[in-house]
Amino acid sequence: MLRLSLKMTLARKGRLFLTSLAIILGTGFLAGTYIFSDTLNSTFDRLFSDVFKDVDAYVRSSSFVEAEFGGEQRGSAPISALETVLSVPGVKDAAPDVQGYARIIGKDGKPIGADNGPPTFGGIASASVAGLWNIEEGRLPVGPTEMVMDKATAKAGKFALGDTVRINAQSGSREFAMVGIVNYGDVSSPGGATFALFDQPTASEFLLKPGFVDAFLVQGDGTVSDEQLTSAINAALSPADKLETITGAQITQETQDQIGAVLSFLTLFLTAFSFIALGIGCFVIYNVFSITTAQRLKENALLRAIGANKRQVVVAMMVEALIIGLLGSALGFLSGIGLSRGLSAMLNAFGIELPTTGLTIQTNRIVLTMIVGTVITILSAILPALRAGRVPPLAALRDTALENVGSVKRRVTIGVVAMLLGAGAITATAAGASNILLGIGVLLVFAGVLIIGPGIAKPVALSLGRPIEKLRGVTGAMARQNAARNPKRTARTAAPVLIGVALVTAMTVFAASVRSEVRTAIGDQFQGDYIVSSANRQFGGLAPSLAPELAAIPGVAQATGLGFTSVNLDGSGKFVLIIDPATASGLITFNMVQGDQSKLSANGILVSDTRALAKGWTIGSTIDVAMVDGTKKIVTVEGTFASSGFGGSYVVNRAFFEGTLNNLFDTNIYIRLVDGANSDQVYDALFGATTDKGLGTLQSRDEFIDAESGQINQILGLIYGLLGLSIIIAIVGIVITLLLSVFERRREIGLLRAIGMTRSQVRTTVRWESVITSMFGAIVGVVLGVVMGFVLILILADSGASAFSLPIAGTIWILVLSFIVGVLAAVYPARRATKVDIMQSIATT
Amino acid sequence: MILVRNRLKGMNNPPESAAASATNVSKIYGHDDSEVRALDDVTIQFEKGHFSAIMGPSGSGKSTLMHCMAGLDSLTTGSVSINGIDLGGLSDKALTQLRREQIGFIFQAFNLIPTLNAKENIVLPLSLGGLKGDASWIENVIDAIGLRDRLEHRPSELSGGQQQRVAVARALASKPAIIFADEPTGNLDSKTGGEVLGFMRRAVTDLGQTIVMVTHDAVAASYADRIVFLKDGKIAGEMFEPTPDRVLDYLKHLGE
Ligand SMILES: Nc1ncnc2c1ncn2[C@@H]1O[C@H](COP(=O)(O)OP(=O)(O)O)[C@@H](O)[C@H]1O
Ligand SMILES: [Mg+2]
Repeated sequence: MLRLSLKMTLARKGRLFLTSLAIILGTGFLAGTYIFSDTLNSTFDRLFSDVFKDVDAYVRSSSFVEAEFGGEQRGSAPISALETVLSVPGVKDAAPDVQGYARIIGKDGKPIGADNGPPTFGGIASASVAGLWNIEEGRLPVGPTEMVMDKATAKAGKFALGDTVRINAQSGSREFAMVGIVNYGDVSSPGGATFALFDQPTASEFLLKPGFVDAFLVQGDGTVSDEQLTSAINAALSPADKLETITGAQITQETQDQIGAVLSFLTLFLTAFSFIALGIGCFVIYNVFSITTAQRLKENALLRAIGANKRQVVVAMMVEALIIGLLGSALGFLSGIGLSRGLSAMLNAFGIELPTTGLTIQTNRIVLTMIVGTVITILSAILPALRAGRVPPLAALRDTALENVGSVKRRVTIGVVAMLLGAGAITATAAGASNILLGIGVLLVFAGVLIIGPGIAKPVALSLGRPIEKLRGVTGAMARQNAARNPKRTARTAAPVLIGVALVTAMTVFAASVRSEVRTAIGDQFQGDYIVSSANRQFGGLAPSLAPELAAIPGVAQATGLGFTSVNLDGSGKFVLIIDPATASGLITFNMVQGDQSKLSANGILVSDTRALAKGWTIGSTIDVAMVDGTKKIVTVEGTFASSGFGGSYVVNRAFFEGTLNNLFDTNIYIRLVDGANSDQVYDALFGATTDKGLGTLQSRDEFIDAESGQINQILGLIYGLLGLSIIIAIVGIVITLLLSVFERRREIGLLRAIGMTRSQVRTTVRWESVITSMFGAIVGVVLGVVMGFVLILILADSGASAFSLPIAGTIWILVLSFIVGVLAAVYPARRATKVDIMQSIATT
Repeated sequence: MILVRNRLKGMNNPPESAAASATNVSKIYGHDDSEVRALDDVTIQFEKGHFSAIMGPSGSGKSTLMHCMAGLDSLTTGSVSINGIDLGGLSDKALTQLRREQIGFIFQAFNLIPTLNAKENIVLPLSLGGLKGDASWIENVIDAIGLRDRLEHRPSELSGGQQQRVAVARALASKPAIIFADEPTGNLDSKTGGEVLGFMRRAVTDLGQTIVMVTHDAVAASYADRIVFLKDGKIAGEMFEPTPDRVLDYLKHLGE
């Protein structure tokens, strides 16, 4: 029996391959995600073990602030501590290190590297053996006007010794003479980052604070172990300097972990999408097996009649599922290698530039992919296989395979109950219950819709087909009837389209609503004529000195910077906005509930009303704050403002950071011109002082609002791209179903051809059946998606349901694309239908 | 009354060329060792307004002849024309259009599209050509098959005999030059078979249609005006005004 079922499976190679395709694509995505993130991880791991290869001990500030969105900001080390470190027995040499933000401006005037790509570092090049850099060409930089850069950046920017190089950093934009090109061990530039290097006093002053560095890299003389060296240095350090020492292995591990945490978020994100693709693949497999079960009624009845028992019939089907699962996942893993490159390219296209070198393929990932793919295939085939087992030996011999829908009423009842339960779970989440309940709720709603599907497929398909019948006459009528004749099959085929479209629609609705919310919020908050913005989010930005410089340009009435930093606030790391109250008024306007923004004092703070309410803060409340360098301060609440759905919850005065070591960058500078100023002239002056020097982007207020609200489109584009594969699987599902239907109806098609249906009419019939099926999925999907989008906004948006906006054009596009999907899916099956042999199908035997 | 008028109209037509003719037609299936000569240099004509039957032992080439003459199958050599149109060299599209407009088909089984009701099945060849057809003619045909109360029914809701009557009506609906029927009563019991044959006879006698029917049943063949006998792919003989007894006699003689 086993050999028989093997033989039967292999006899249908075409079908075997198509069915496998659903699993190949799903597992391919999963494997691609694995390979991509493993490669990424190992690239970074190698990078940082390279970076700290010769570092035996690492001395750094012991005070830090956890950033609200991951990572940490650490205090600085006084350069004076270097003497102490060098004097510790066992230390061969120690080099000061700075990892600051420095943007090299290319010869074309454009900054080198991407804003949200690999970091652009500024640091120290020193002669110390403990330092990271070796001179490849030229010499080390000396004094405040010299710099060197890494070989890869020099090559990319076509810089040569003696060039004058402009560099933007925290202390402003300056020009340096390039006196050398350096190498990083045997790597010319680690991970695509750019490096501008100076002598220690210049680096400290330009990138950080005079007299301070980020760390000391220590090399031992080999007489003691790294651990012993570390504790010896720790013991020698002065407590007043607030420093700590860890081993080279520890700092390597720590950095790798930090990057790993960021990457694991990315991996999780991608994995979620690969599981959506797999789930849709599941549906396709389930559908194919259900159809084949119905079509093989005769075959199975015959097997039963000649003595096969139920179990053997079921096993025969499961063997087929096993073959498809194994074959599909194996091919899937192979295609995953290509897909991992595709993922990398796609993230790149959406501005997430990640360095990947080589290809990391782990055996356990192969095993995992194979297991997931095979188990999913087998699970999808169980129900149809059991159904096949229930075929009585003397089953009625039928021409076309019909599957009973069963009681429509029962279906709809169960479906509605599931949807109501789901809606309940979602409402509970909106009311504050855990997010797991949201997931369960969404799954229940989907399940409900899918259960109801076969119950409504017939009337929906018939009414969708009505205009086609009007338009296309008898071919349209036949397409309409064909789509409606097997409601279960139609519903199952439409299900993957439904799920894909629902997700795409929900995202589109959500994005449109967020976009309009951001527009209003920015419009309300920021006035003025021009804005200089930097795309840097976590690392670097515009020097705080730039705003006053711009204010001094003739024709500019007012210019103010909006900065950000992280501090420890009331016990945890928080993101705070920084303003200059004196220059901000009329340019940056918080919607004050209490207090006056322009009266914000050096030790005052403005808090969003929701945060204030949650924490019980009122005007006059005091909050403990700790800076990255460990400085402790107390701030007083001087006002509350209405949350705007974006931006921060805390606002402090720039003067608050006077004398501390917090990195301060501005993200945006808002500019108002003098009334009646020649705006072209002023614009040119502003442009010369900013964008022309690689300092941010100068935009009018409208341009800026468009750009900011448009940023959500990038994320949306990425999500569309990641859902793309699921849509392709849905198309494959339609293709397989149509092929099976054509195969099943070949006699009917032959008869039609005999009595005068042309080939193009045969194609038309198949095409419109496909369109009706995909539109059935698309329309239900759009409705579901709009509801889901609405719920998402209800739960996530600060301003609640009022933020909801229905993207009419977007929704129409989704429907148009679904229509095209239907047409495309029909191309091959329709061609097969026209090749049906008339003679064979009307043969009377 | 109407039927009589139609018949007169048919009789008033001047005698034209044959409704269908085959000239030196051979059909060979397979090649080399497995070669089967299904038709061997067959030349035959079917006149307009006649009901002809094709008989012969199983495998004698009856169906092949019908398929070749109806433009469903290609010839190895020879030529076929329908209503004066030579089928040789017609494109698939032109052939399809010819089948739709000039030829009616009745097969032994599976004649109707299960998703369409009886009325839609009857007018299907017309609808496929985007035509309305002659409404009063179609009404006549529907009345003649006696299924006016079943027009909205799907094939699965009709008996075998009713289904074949619908098939005959479909073959007639476009007033084709010729109708080919391949064992149209092969799946029916003799009573319902008789009804269908009687109706085909009336279609020729009263409505002036032309029918060529393949059958192996002597009683069925006796409804025809003329019988053509085939053996081993060759014309073996002819008989006019047949009766079942004469046919059986002839077949016995043919089998020897
Ligand atoms: N498609 C085909 N391929 C090969 N041989 C065929 C094919 N169709 C018919 N034949 C052969 O041609 C001969 C005539 O067949 P057919 O016309 O169907 O006979 P009849 O209808 O008289 O029983 C038979 O020997 C049959 O086996
Ligand atoms: Mg035959």
